[in-house]
Amino acid sequence: MSAENDPTQRVAIGISFGNSYSSIAYTTGEGRAEVIANEDGDRQIPSFLSYVEGEELHGGQAKPQIVRNAKNTVAYFRDFLGQEFKSIDPTAAHQSAHAVQHESTVAFKIRDTQEETENEVTVSTITSRHLTRLRKSASDYLGKAVNSAVITVPTNFSDAQKDALNKAAKEAGIEVLQFISEPTAAVLAYDARPDAKLADKIIVVADLGGTRSDIAVIASRGGIYTVLATVHDYEVTGLKLDQVLMDYFAKEFLKKNKDASDPREDARGLAKLKLECEAVKKALSIGSSANFSVESLVGGIDYTATINRTRYDLLGNKLFGAFSRLVLHAVEKANLDPLDITEVILAGGNANTPKVASTVAAAFPETTTILAPSTSSSAIIPSELAVRGAAIQASLIQEFDLEDIEQSSHPAVTVTPHLAHAVGVLCISGDETSGIFHPIVETETSLPVRRTAIIATPREGGDVLIKLAEGLRHIKVTKPEPKPKAEKDEDDSDDDESDEEEEVREKTWKVGNVLSEAAIRGVKKGGKVEVQINIGADLGVNAIYREVGGKGGVRGIIQGSKASNGSA
Amino acid sequence: PVLPEGWTGEKEFKSIGQLSAANDRNIEPVGHHFLAHARRKRHKRTFSEDDRI
Repeated sequence: MSAENDPTQRVAIGISFGNSYSSIAYTTGEGRAEVIANEDGDRQIPSFLSYVEGEELHGGQAKPQIVRNAKNTVAYFRDFLGQEFKSIDPTAAHQSAHAVQHESTVAFKIRDTQEETENEVTVSTITSRHLTRLRKSASDYLGKAVNSAVITVPTNFSDAQKDALNKAAKEAGIEVLQFISEPTAAVLAYDARPDAKLADKIIVVADLGGTRSDIAVIASRGGIYTVLATVHDYEVTGLKLDQVLMDYFAKEFLKKNKDASDPREDARGLAKLKLECEAVKKALSIGSSANFSVESLVGGIDYTATINRTRYDLLGNKLFGAFSRLVLHAVEKANLDPLDITEVILAGGNANTPKVASTVAAAFPETTTILAPSTSSSAIIPSELAVRGAAIQASLIQEFDLEDIEQSSHPAVTVTPHLAHAVGVLCISGDETSGIFHPIVETETSLPVRRTAIIATPREGGDVLIKLAEGLRHIKVTKPEPKPKAEKDEDDSDDDESDEEEEVREKTWKVGNVLSEAAIRGVKKGGKVEVQINIGADLGVNAIYREVGGKGGVRGIIQGSKASNGSA
Repeated sequence: PVLPEGWTGEKEFKSIGQLSAANDRNIEPVGHHFLAHARRKRHKRTFSEDDRI
């Protein structure tokens, strides 16, 4: 095949392709992901294309064209790709070129040449032109012709959508090495940092984008990620936050100018309002107040105003609350409790809003880390998470044959058994009722797995019993004594009005199935025992116990049940 | 915990129960650790065999 398909000739980048914004990133020789700014200096490149007298404008240059040249400006088209016309929601594209039916797919009627005629340009052609511009920007920056990429897509992107994107990318001269999902890319972006420590944790990736919100609950076990639940919402969005500001300023404008018409009812006025409100929203993420200023908003009247963050927080309150409920809903969908969540990664441009982070933080216990610029100094810029993850993945697989990548991501490899319960040892007492469970392998860990832990032994040493068991996570709810009230639903997480008698919820373990017992004799005073557990895909367990610094040790095998399933 | 008096087991080990049935789930084909997993699975290697390479 051509040189492009030769792994040694590859120049690969990461691309995040969104409805509102796209970005490009590469990985440096030292393995650090860097987001590339295009020739306009934008790292967040608007997914906009506009045509003026046959000239193609892209990104930040195309976006303002929704004011003067809305009909020939295409925006918010990512989710139309690979879709049938009847299944798309064209709401976001109302102010730009409208989507029309073209055979079974979607197209836009635009004047994209110098001729005075309108052409039907399919969404796949638009996508490929957009990707071409992204590829060019990356090539110019890197000084090398980019020819391949890892592209991020939402978790609910269908195969048809991926196929369509793959085709459009090919037309843009990009060989897609792999599609990876946006939330996983975000987790990877954090895990690939040099100071990141590998740990078993449950992560929620909450992406508040422009036209949609996507929440994913991910189990990260030894650097392997499993998506436990996802929630997608098209109502709680960044565009709705813009709308809140648009309504506010439009009303203020009408108060000041009694005779003027509503700028929201004028196509140009609306477009100007919209652009400016997005800018105001961004300014409010950084500063505590922002200026709104539009020349000739409607009827030739200029309008300037200011807004402070407190006011905006109040205006957006409903949406922030709705977003945090979505996050909790995803946790519930994964059959988990907020206490189980180690980290919440806030992604998407709107996660820069401090109030979004604080509202989500309030829904989780203090033990949960909220990774957003306003809550954590080590947070990565939310808009850059997906593209950084993509760039890292691109650098990992760039030397592989495409066939190898395809085979590796095949279900035969990716579908693996996951532990239904945590496996660990009992401390303090061998009795299941009074022992304290110490997890070694967490629940939802993919098999096979190997884990090692060091556990303490009784102070005086001597002969020690090590009991391997399954542990079930349990949420213990303690209500304060004084005023017992009607029982609260555990899952109803939005009920903390009654501050006085707030219940105390904590995570405890219940001991389940006991798997095995082992004896280690003559442990030194204060000695520690190293426990290594191997669990195979057949659910067989191979355990090794050894006193730290001691010799020998005990090895035991528990037969797997998977082969003979059904008898139990 | 302290070993109870008179505890015996073959080679100091006694198997009592089995793990509960696992859930089959899809792991994300992303990241360094996944690639290591895929390599082991495709070559049918165990962890320790993989360590030796």
